Amino acid sequence: MIARVYIQAAATISHQPVFGVRGFAASLSPLERGSELVQPAYKEYIDPMALRRMSKILRMSITSACEALRQSDIAQPRGIIVGTGLGCLLDTEKFLSNFLTLEGLIPPTSFILSTHNTIAGQISLNLSCHSYNITHTQNTLSFETALIDGLMKIEEGESPVLVGAADEHIPFLDTVAAEWGYTRLQLTSAASFYVLSGQASSESLAEVLDAEVIAGQNGTDESVISGFLERNGLTLAEMDLILSSGTAVKTDVKQMDYTAYSGIYPTASAFAFHYGADYLSSVSGSRYVLIVNRLRPENTGLVLLKSIEA
Amino acid sequence: MAAEVYVTGMGILSAIGNGVEENLYALLHKQPGISEIQMGKKRVKAGRIPLSDTELIKLLDVKQTPVSRTSLLGMAAAREAWGDNRLSPQLRTGLISATSVGGMDLTETFYADYLAKRPADFDVLVCHDSGTSAEHIAGYLGITGYINTLSTACSSGANAIMLGARLIQSGRLDRVLVGGTDALTQFTVQGFGSLMIYDSEWTRPFDDTRAGLNLGEGAAFLLLESQRSLEWSGNQPIGRVGGWGNSADAYHQTASSPDGKGAVLAMREALGSLSPADISYINAHGTGTPNNDGSESAALISVFGDTLPPFSSTKAYTGHTLAAAGAIEAVFSLLAIREGKVWPNLNFSNVIPDTGLVPVTEPESREVNAVLSNSFGFGGNNSSLVFTR
Repeated sequence: MIARVYIQAAATISHQPVFGVRGFAASLSPLERGSELVQPAYKEYIDPMALRRMSKILRMSITSACEALRQSDIAQPRGIIVGTGLGCLLDTEKFLSNFLTLEGLIPPTSFILSTHNTIAGQISLNLSCHSYNITHTQNTLSFETALIDGLMKIEEGESPVLVGAADEHIPFLDTVAAEWGYTRLQLTSAASFYVLSGQASSESLAEVLDAEVIAGQNGTDESVISGFLERNGLTLAEMDLILSSGTAVKTDVKQMDYTAYSGIYPTASAFAFHYGADYLSSVSGSRYVLIVNRLRPENTGLVLLKSIEA
Repeated sequence: MAAEVYVTGMGILSAIGNGVEENLYALLHKQPGISEIQMGKKRVKAGRIPLSDTELIKLLDVKQTPVSRTSLLGMAAAREAWGDNRLSPQLRTGLISATSVGGMDLTETFYADYLAKRPADFDVLVCHDSGTSAEHIAGYLGITGYINTLSTACSSGANAIMLGARLIQSGRLDRVLVGGTDALTQFTVQGFGSLMIYDSEWTRPFDDTRAGLNLGEGAAFLLLESQRSLEWSGNQPIGRVGGWGNSADAYHQTASSPDGKGAVLAMREALGSLSPADISYINAHGTGTPNNDGSESAALISVFGDTLPPFSSTKAYTGHTLAAAGAIEAVFSLLAIREGKVWPNLNFSNVIPDTGLVPVTEPESREVNAVLSNSFGFGGNNSSLVFTR
């Protein structure tokens, strides 16, 4: 069944000052070197006792999930669907260090909080929400695979759903990047959560027309992009903006490397999704945004957004 | 009317055998795969597969290294499930794997060297993230396109099967390899140890004296096909994925609610239009921890009442294989249908007085038309699957 899917709310915590802001797309600047995470007042969203135990990825995720639900006035989504490339790294590293160095009893907290589905699990706990709860972790395609799951849920009649993605930076990643010879990358942390619905409203930011992942193929094969647009009855020339990462798309259409704005993290395309939705809702006359995620050359993620008026 | 989802291939590598037939033999002959082994600083009872990484690389003829043990186990199971099927531009083929810790087996060895300031091999870290295991397994079989990994702790494997079935029903894929894989790691052995739920004795699911789980390693995959795919491949169905349900318990980050609310919701959703009396056998999650088995028993009584069919946990055979468990037990569920057998719950002798539930303890012959398989994870992630003839 084909269903129409609308972005009803969006919340991103990242190195950009966009949390709770609408209409930022036209005025955003690329990140400067040494930029830092712009953190909202978490205690407005999370119980201070619980907050103390939470790592960065949990704070960012729960807060942006709550904010997206608050914007759309949804208490109980029909699904909580999360994508994360590397999961809860701070707690993973802490538990590794603990059991490798401590003798005797090891505290369990960091083990409990290290699993990938801690994010979706904690959101369900916070909302006392028994709905479908899932975590996708497919490297740089983790957001897109979560998004496709959300689109399917709405097709199945389960609307609205909460779809999001998060990854956290830890200093050890800089060590690894340096060892691997990547010295110019700006590695960042971020979380983005969206309320997707089968029903449009006056609050809708944009419509999600389609999403696809193509893993394990040479990502510079441009026929993948034209095929994706063709099945939606569109061509590259009809796009108002292309948000890309990795290899740029061969086109004259206005194009932006979104990682210059988000920094590099496995689910950075979730930032592009917010940027694209904001762009379509705030730049008049714009109709289509295409996100081409080729952060890893062998994996391509494609997302097509349409403005509500178009 | 939703489209049918057929199972046409199965593959498994577990502590009780390499391949479907070896696993079947062990199930029939009550041969557990758990033994006492050394994991880092700990001596534990666990279900280890008696093949080294080097032996697996040779056996599977894997060319790409570094490769994690998690990937290698998955390749073996996926290769068996795929069999001699061929890729074709006519059919959209995908792969969904599930893992809890991905390449942690390599990462923890690296990190011990790194912390001790010994020379450490940074190259193995390319295998760390969970998604790499699915990419390696798909690459090994030449599958490209929709590749995905789910990680919801102990329910991951069941969720991979559920997602695959939904992708076929949505028309996005014609066939998909779905399953899960997890290698034994110090990380998980120490983790469940820190939670005080790793039994130092043999695990005893549903027994009143149960004191925790024994971990295991392994992988299993199913090949799911749509009607259209079946017409092209000519494969004979082993069974169907008849229903699925996932629900968050939303009770506690690690413990299950005493009444098993999330489990009840997942089982009812999976039953769909079937009635509880239609289920011939239940392959329970049954980890052997006081909390899980208590909560799951309460949930089984809520859903099935007086019509509870024969049930058992097979974790005393394989150990708890975490993200692989849902997939391994899916193979056991389909074997129950194919063989007309229900599988014994090993190490059971004392009934839990509060529930009075008695699992199957011998491999009984009976007609099996529909099997319910439960997988409940950490963080209250509850999934149930129904397999039918």
